[in-house]
Amino acid sequence: MKYNPVTVEIVDQLSKIVGSKNVITDRERLEAYSHDETPTEQYAHMPEVVVTPTSAEEIAEIMRLANHELIPVTPRGAGSGLSGGAIPDYGGIVISVEKMNQILEIDYGNMMMVLEPGVVTNHVNEVIEEEGLFYAGYPMSVETCYIGGNVAENAGGGKAVKYGVTGRYVMGLELVTPTGEIVQLGGKRVKDVTGYDLKQLIIGSEGTLGIVTKVIIKLLPLPTAKVDLLVLFEDVKSAIDMVPLIMTRGRIIPTSIEFMDKLSVKTSCEYLNEHLPYQQCGAMLLIEVDGNRAEQVEEDGETIGELCLEKGALEVYVADNHTTIERVWSVRRNIAEAFKVISPYQSLEDIVVPMAAIPDIMPELERISKKYDIQIPCYGHAGDGNLHATLVKNPDHSMEKWYQVEKEALTELYEATIKLGGTISGEHGIGSKRKPFMDIACDPVELELMRKIKKAFDPNNIMNPGKIFDME
Amino acid sequence: MKIIIPIKQVPETSNVKIDEETGTIVREGVESIVNPLDLYAIEAGIQLKEERGAEITVVSMGPPSAEKALKEAIAMGCDDGILISGKEFAGSDTWATSYTISRAVKKLGKFDLILTGERATDGETGQVGPGIASFLDLPVSTYTSRIVEVTEVSIVVERLIEEGYEMLRMPLPALVSVVKEICFPRLPTLRGKQKAKKTELARWNADNMDIERSALGLNGSPTRVVKIETPKVTRSGEVVRVTDEESLADAVERFLTFLRKKGIL
Repeated sequence: MKYNPVTVEIVDQLSKIVGSKNVITDRERLEAYSHDETPTEQYAHMPEVVVTPTSAEEIAEIMRLANHELIPVTPRGAGSGLSGGAIPDYGGIVISVEKMNQILEIDYGNMMMVLEPGVVTNHVNEVIEEEGLFYAGYPMSVETCYIGGNVAENAGGGKAVKYGVTGRYVMGLELVTPTGEIVQLGGKRVKDVTGYDLKQLIIGSEGTLGIVTKVIIKLLPLPTAKVDLLVLFEDVKSAIDMVPLIMTRGRIIPTSIEFMDKLSVKTSCEYLNEHLPYQQCGAMLLIEVDGNRAEQVEEDGETIGELCLEKGALEVYVADNHTTIERVWSVRRNIAEAFKVISPYQSLEDIVVPMAAIPDIMPELERISKKYDIQIPCYGHAGDGNLHATLVKNPDHSMEKWYQVEKEALTELYEATIKLGGTISGEHGIGSKRKPFMDIACDPVELELMRKIKKAFDPNNIMNPGKIFDME
Repeated sequence: MKIIIPIKQVPETSNVKIDEETGTIVREGVESIVNPLDLYAIEAGIQLKEERGAEITVVSMGPPSAEKALKEAIAMGCDDGILISGKEFAGSDTWATSYTISRAVKKLGKFDLILTGERATDGETGQVGPGIASFLDLPVSTYTSRIVEVTEVSIVVERLIEEGYEMLRMPLPALVSVVKEICFPRLPTLRGKQKAKKTELARWNADNMDIERSALGLNGSPTRVVKIETPKVTRSGEVVRVTDEESLADAVERFLTFLRKKGIL
């Protein structure tokens, strides 16, 4: 596909649509829109122009212009993505939803909220906390990401075991199609089987099928009590073996079951100057239970703790107030940051396998780590089988060597994952980062269906082109 | 050895809200926790217990809800707890509090060491530890960063002073208030929590303590909180942002002009 450049005339037309103050052409300012949270060196690409519209109508007009002129358009949220989804691989226009950041409605009668896509997801919970409500679909990058980006990526997070991911809480969307129409999908209805579920198709489509301009989310009653257990195990296997038992034998669905191997805990603790007794253990689980009755939550915590000890856990620590809960979670949350200190070059993965297959993926990680002489710390959401196995560049390797190693090691990691019934991304998305591996992850028939869907939505392939899969 | 650790329950302050009219902390809906700096005294005590054997009693003066703080300390590894609670203690200042706790220590009988945190994160005075020592006429080491050696009759500690460290040898019994450098507080274990749940706390008040009633609570307090004021912020910061109409270079130029005007450049 050959796209046309953004000319001075195009910039003028964009200015007419959104006003000149919402058009950015200054090179230094464009740079901020050239990357997300994936390594800049490999994936960044400059946009030719960035626009910051304030309405769906403006976006629709931009899309019609872009279609007419054959200019690629990349939608952008907060830029905290981990797969390159918001990066304009072919230049062109970036549409940033940063100025569409209003909460349009809080509907207590239906326990729903209507948001513009640029609302910071964390802000949603701050606003409704006092009413005793919460939005359960939010991921770990709580303080930065936008709801629009969450919808585009179908973001998950640490609470998926109990609460599921973004898609479960999106009741309706307003979408500007790649051809410039505005359409409402879904609504404030719990049940809806009227035709194809296009709303769910859009959720997780990584901005390749349109731009979300309004989101209706479902709220839940905010749990008032929680307890966290930090459980130390001798080795990875005994920790992972425990995960299904919590649910099958304990008969409790925890809010989170986070797994951390020793390398992850050690690195994070050293980074935080935290002195958890990790020396003797091979892996840890961080298990959270929540609810609305303190006694019930305490009892659930005790049941799970007892079960862990019965199955040979070395120690069970209990955090039941804000201070101690923050303390244990900060170890989990800072793992990725801590490894950036060791080497800024890493490939943060989010492979997902069936829960029962996690013990089998571990030896594979160890094998790949040895073979390529790189560290692969592993942590993540064990409760749902979603693991952040992270390839960290060996500081002794050259960049050339790293790119080579990354590609080969990723291929081996993905092949092993798929062999176990898993797949290559659970919550970060494919974007451009994982696109080369789509043919090992997907059936050719499935891929062809996806291409046909893409073509139906976006006949000129101008909407976030180059993401997820190539059209040819 | 016998160790006594006075602790305080305080509001969890990382998310604290201040009532704009009265200037006081809004306590409704705010979780109460063990004073974070007391955790270091508790940990230091437990480490002594693990090294040479000791029996640790935690003492807290406060409302009935302070039971939770005592139980957390027991869950970490302390042996038993005493809750000093009653209307007669309400409104105690640091003098009345030190006096009350010193009477509780007297009632406990023979002991070797009192460990305290540096100060409480709500009152921020740091006076109660040394105050207790003063009522009991004990040697005291404040800002203690290391316990070097403990024998039957003496303790050697290292304390932070402005130009470095000072090493002190004190006869026992003594009072040692500790700073964060001394150790890393452990998390309570499930077994500890279960033990704490079963542990019966002793509940004391003016009726079952040998104590001078006129020295208690607000009436017994020689100091008064007359007024609480939030200091006015006289400095103001300005963040230079790139506005929609300008380029980065324009904004930098604006910033430089500002610095030049202020005589900084």
